Amino acid sequence: MTDPVPFTVIGGFLGAGKTTLLNRLLRDAGRRRFAVLVNDFGALDIDGGLVAAHDGDTVALANGCLCCTIGDSLVTTLLGLLERPERFDHIVVEASGVADPGRIADLAVLEPRLVRDGVVVVVDAVDVRERASDRRLRDTVMRQLQAADLLLLNKIDLAVDLAAVRCWISMQTAAPLLESKHADVPLDLLFGLDRAGGSSDESSAEAFASWSYEWSEPVERDALLAMLREARGGVLRAKGIVRFADSADRRSVVHLVGGRLDVSDQGPWGDTAGSRLVMLGLRPMLGSLPRETTT
Amino acid sequence: MTITVYSTRRIITMNPNRPFATHVAVRDGRILGAGSLEELKGWGKVELDSRFADKVVLPGFVEGHSHAFEGGVWKFPYVGYFDRTNPDGSRAPGLKSIDEVVAALSAHEKTLPKGASLLAWGFDPIYFGGRRMDLADVDKISTDRAVVIIHSNFHVANANTAVLAKAGITRTTNVHGIVKDAKGEPTGELQEMAAKYMAYRAAGVEIAAVLSDEQAVWRFARVAQLAGVTTATDLHNELPDSTVDGYLKATASDDFPIRLLPAFAATAISPAEGVPRLQALVKRNNEKLRFQLVKIVTDGSIQGLSARMRWPGYYDGTPNGVWNVGPDDLDRVLLAYHREGFQVHIHTNGDEASEVGIEAVERALAVAPRWDHRHTLQHAQMADAGQFRRMKALGMCANLFANHLYYWGDVHYAKTLGPERAERMDACATALATGVPFAIHCDAPVTPIGPLFTAWCAVNRLTASGRTLGEAEKIPVAEALRAITLGAAYTLKLDEELGSIDVGKRADFAILDDDPLLVPPEKLKDIGVWGTVLGGKVFEAPRR
Repeated sequence: MTDPVPFTVIGGFLGAGKTTLLNRLLRDAGRRRFAVLVNDFGALDIDGGLVAAHDGDTVALANGCLCCTIGDSLVTTLLGLLERPERFDHIVVEASGVADPGRIADLAVLEPRLVRDGVVVVVDAVDVRERASDRRLRDTVMRQLQAADLLLLNKIDLAVDLAAVRCWISMQTAAPLLESKHADVPLDLLFGLDRAGGSSDESSAEAFASWSYEWSEPVERDALLAMLREARGGVLRAKGIVRFADSADRRSVVHLVGGRLDVSDQGPWGDTAGSRLVMLGLRPMLGSLPRETTT
Repeated sequence: MTITVYSTRRIITMNPNRPFATHVAVRDGRILGAGSLEELKGWGKVELDSRFADKVVLPGFVEGHSHAFEGGVWKFPYVGYFDRTNPDGSRAPGLKSIDEVVAALSAHEKTLPKGASLLAWGFDPIYFGGRRMDLADVDKISTDRAVVIIHSNFHVANANTAVLAKAGITRTTNVHGIVKDAKGEPTGELQEMAAKYMAYRAAGVEIAAVLSDEQAVWRFARVAQLAGVTTATDLHNELPDSTVDGYLKATASDDFPIRLLPAFAATAISPAEGVPRLQALVKRNNEKLRFQLVKIVTDGSIQGLSARMRWPGYYDGTPNGVWNVGPDDLDRVLLAYHREGFQVHIHTNGDEASEVGIEAVERALAVAPRWDHRHTLQHAQMADAGQFRRMKALGMCANLFANHLYYWGDVHYAKTLGPERAERMDACATALATGVPFAIHCDAPVTPIGPLFTAWCAVNRLTASGRTLGEAEKIPVAEALRAITLGAAYTLKLDEELGSIDVGKRADFAILDDDPLLVPPEKLKDIGVWGTVLGGKVFEAPRR
């Protein structure tokens, strides 16, 4: 069986900037083949010259990416995608404006061909508090904020009271916050590095840093996980294949997206070289990591 | 041109100028008149047909909220608690315990090819004294093939170990909708997205097409026709080409027994694409197929605890439900179709959803004033008197889910709504008093299609356990009969064409064994349906 495909859900209200983010993703995908499930093709800004094929519910792009409209049922659209012969490096779902993106991310747990990557919720810095004060929408806003592994506070250039918005959000959720104008963020922070470990996104490489660690000896589980937990907010992604001292014959996979840290067992250690961990974060944040505890 | 005159025991016309008659004359599929034989002979030479001489004739019933999916699910075994009519007219007996369900499906399992999944539908454990179906039960049916038993609400399912193993579901799986027992082990019960995903995985994606293909719509039409229905909606369909082709083929047949109104699922694609698509579909309408309706689903269901409730919310303290389409999107999509002259049917179960639906119509009218739009709240189960007054002021209609009173009334009383709101749910009498044009419905396959049963619910308001749910919201039999004929036709903008037995209208009749205005009201649901007449063609139901 091939490796499961990382599955990311983009949530957030209508108008927050989900589509802008997806347009950026499709344009700057680099060598990576994304399959993107969206609510409305029409909203996407797909350059006609990049369209390789269009058959109603799907658009195949020249760069290897595929867009599918979700239509009436995400479940059948996703299953249909998984039945296609092409393999993708990453599947991204645009949640509807009122959906709970955490529930959608559960699909990756139910589907062995997928692995849950993260829930990114795009927040409109201009009107999120107004939405949250509407009694008909308040619980929907809160469910989205609380489902987020990573928040993208967008339209910061248009917000008049940014400090107050930041403060309000920090009281609703512990998820780390990235800030953007026009959803312009380093894509690698949201979707990880490609399989070769390289960035797909040359222009944003300056904005963040990646650190990698290698250990030849088994690693103390508590020390490593404590380091990652403390670093949350600074380290926005981490991925590692680790040989923990308490289960030195097993391959443990450490996966961090925003505020969510998962450790899973992937069978016997085998004869792979040492443990390896790659972390991504914003440059100023990473610089403050207590590196002595981990090396 | 032959004029056929049917002699009857009595005709209930829904025409207030001539509410009752003994004879009805039909020419060219339309009603020439209803009156005495002498009066009708004035039209010329008539052929007298006395086969309905001891029958009672009503306008063909109009089901304003059903789904052709009802025909799709009959491809699979029905395992519900209540007896239900098969498309072939036979009774599928209700199964009164989990063991009966297991025994029936174990027998069915032996008829399936190797490797095929087993799907069943209609299961409802609420009548089994609290016992839930679990893995041990479902594994008795099969341990190697995938087994998925879908509950009557279509939001919950039970699966066997084979299904869970394939998905890697264990006690450590932390996903909403995977029910676990006291020891933390999955019981095989799956809810909402988890249920839907596993059912589709087990069945294969192609199942979606099977559920609304040409054969499915034939089965749906037959089930409807057996209940006296001559016009039925398929009230939420994305209308992919394969479905449209099946509908066109089926309705082109003289033997197709109903008029079908699919409602376009407006939020599946953007209005910029959807409006021209629907406009193109309207051009393909025929005598038995009408593309004209638009559907938007705002919230979930009350029994599924996913309806959007106003304060004070669910009686048992469950957090508020979820939006499928929130207020912003509703405004945007409604306005787009409203501007183009379409009638929009808005699914609103909870009272907050009804509020949002009403306000969306109010805003659309402020931007684009339009007369006689008849935008309709579908279900509107919790709408109160104030909301009905607003609907009236805005020219809206309501289609109330009367069958809920019987099937889930006890649950609403005890758990979801509490006594006070349960007693005023599906408020037919309030709709009458405020003058909101209304219909009543079954939402098949959620509950069986059967307008006489639906009328019985609105008249008697009895729950499955026998509780009367809201004496004050009962309506008289005559009003309930209107709601399943002319009232429903009005909510579909078909009232000038059908819904009553009147000169010039289509010769669509329900042929009953007994007189609904003369039997005791509590017997309304037991009246036999002999068959129907559709456009002058007689469709006799198979004898039971």
